[in-house]
Amino acid sequence: MNVLIIEDEKALADELEIFLCNHNYICEVCFNGVTASEKIAVNLYDFILIDLGLPDYDGLELLKEAKKNNPDAICMILTARAEVYDRVKGLDLGADDYLPKPFSLLELQSRMQAITRRKFGLKQNLVDLGGFLINLTDRTISYYNTEINTITKKEFDLIAYLLLHKNRTLTRSQLSEHIWGSIINDDYDSNYIDAHIKNIRKKLNVFASPDWLETVRGLGYKIKINA
Amino acid sequence: MKLKTKLTLFNTISKLVIVTLFVLLLPVLIRNINQNFTDNKLHKQKNKVLRIIKTSGIKNNLYAAYSPLKEEFYSLDEDSLDESLDTITNEKRKIEGDTIDYRILSYNFIIDKKNYLLEIGKSVDTIGETTTPLQNIAFVVLVGMILLTILADLVYSTYVLRPLDLIIKTKLIAHKFPNFGSYNKVKTSTSDFEYLDISIHKMIETIESTFQKEREFISNASHELMTPISILQSKIENMFEREDIVDELKTRLLEMQKILNRLKSITKTLLLISQIENEQFLKEDQISLTVLLGEVYDEISIRLQDKNIIYETSLPEEWNLVHVNKFLLFNLFFNLINNAIKYNHENGHIKVVATHENNIFMISIIDTGIGISAGDLPFIFNRFKKFRQSMQQDSFGLGLPIVKSIAAFHKIKIGVVSEKGKGSTFKLILPGFLIEI
Repeated sequence: MNVLIIEDEKALADELEIFLCNHNYICEVCFNGVTASEKIAVNLYDFILIDLGLPDYDGLELLKEAKKNNPDAICMILTARAEVYDRVKGLDLGADDYLPKPFSLLELQSRMQAITRRKFGLKQNLVDLGGFLINLTDRTISYYNTEINTITKKEFDLIAYLLLHKNRTLTRSQLSEHIWGSIINDDYDSNYIDAHIKNIRKKLNVFASPDWLETVRGLGYKIKINA
Repeated sequence: MKLKTKLTLFNTISKLVIVTLFVLLLPVLIRNINQNFTDNKLHKQKNKVLRIIKTSGIKNNLYAAYSPLKEEFYSLDEDSLDESLDTITNEKRKIEGDTIDYRILSYNFIIDKKNYLLEIGKSVDTIGETTTPLQNIAFVVLVGMILLTILADLVYSTYVLRPLDLIIKTKLIAHKFPNFGSYNKVKTSTSDFEYLDISIHKMIETIESTFQKEREFISNASHELMTPISILQSKIENMFEREDIVDELKTRLLEMQKILNRLKSITKTLLLISQIENEQFLKEDQISLTVLLGEVYDEISIRLQDKNIIYETSLPEEWNLVHVNKFLLFNLFFNLINNAIKYNHENGHIKVVATHENNIFMISIIDTGIGISAGDLPFIFNRFKKFRQSMQQDSFGLGLPIVKSIAAFHKIKIGVVSEKGKGSTFKLILPGFLIEI
């Protein structure tokens, strides 16, 4: 999929490019609004990531142009100015998502995937993990037709996030940010992820051992799927 | 004492003193006035008598007479005195056995080589008899006038001092720091009050601009920090994903990530506080308290479980919170309950109680934790103050400042009762307009 990254902060644009290229996206980067405007007018993209705080261009203006010239593209706003007004305005103008800086690259990827799924209406999103059937659309887990309803919303969020980034170690910080990111509190290092994982294992163990949910010593957790 | 009262009191006392002096002096004054008046009258009568003598001759007029009540008398008689007399004196005369004080004009003159003496007398009692009633009338009239002027003074001073009251009420009491309204001139024709009003307004402007600068600085600084933090975070994440990095390095990357997270949390929190203080949030949501606390519980239950804390709620009525910002209220309760967990003991208790008594809506969050010492209590809402470090906690002292800002934004009052070692109770008093039952 083609991604246009519009970000005036070169170091960040580079990291976005590296990350997305590693995950099989084809990236183009521009560091200012004028070039971006030209590119939007000429090329077609699947994704357009727009930084609102461009020095030479109004990011929202760019969004309008993108919606006009690239009507099928998924537009995501990335911004450090997390003002409520910007958010509402951006979504009003047709942005598909809004990610305030600083964000995790994993979060960006999972949002991009979620929108793709939504947009292209991928129906049943089912994953089989050693007998456990995980339905990402209905947000349910079942074991050979028995639905496991003891799993809480948070626990499912964790499983889904790990599954989305399967075979990759996710750190506790990354997992915490995903499930508690919107809560503003003054804990900066909570180890409640461990408690959640412990609970998930306990609940799944009733049916079968969830070997696929691995603890990576000292680093974090991952879901391993042998492709 | 109020300025109004003081002014009126001073006016009353000064007038009373003057009036009393006047009333005391009144008899002397009246006596003098009466005497002058009487003397004038006697002279006029004398002249009249002399005119009559000139026209009708003296013989017909030689007689002495007094009025039936002996208030006045008149006599013209031949006289042997050589010296010429023209005096007015007070003398006693005996008339028909009564001795009476008279004011007597004595005048002698010569007609046809004969000496005559004219005497016209007026009883002193008649002269003085008006003194007492006059004094009484004067007293009554003056007291009445004093009362009237006191009333007038009171009304006028109330009127003239009203701008002062207005300045204090609208400019000083009604203002909530640090958000001031625009300048509304207080109507007054008194230049002193105008001066006061303008001075207060200038002071408010200075305070306001200082507050504004501080808020802007925090807001800008936090915004500016977001991009570099974002770059660092992305770099660390990308490095962490590389296959050629050994686990030992990954562990160190993880440490960096944790520290970065701390920086991120602080920055986000400061930004949130400045956004709340700049009123950048809307208050258009409504949510039932039960649902809101349920959502907080979903997020926080893992922490309760981790410490094996018993959590209870007692919500006797179905409260619907209106005109609120759900995101902010969620964070308020999350932080309060999170603190109640953080500073609690293993197997402790937390209770959230809503009460509605005498039209006061109160939500209390009661914990059985380590408590706060009385000395620390006044400072717990200050930013970056960390007191309860005895228990090892990863926090940076912005939890309660967030709570305070959110509460103030919703006009919710917070009170804390705490006893070291026994636990703390945070009380939220919600204004009536936030609640629908």
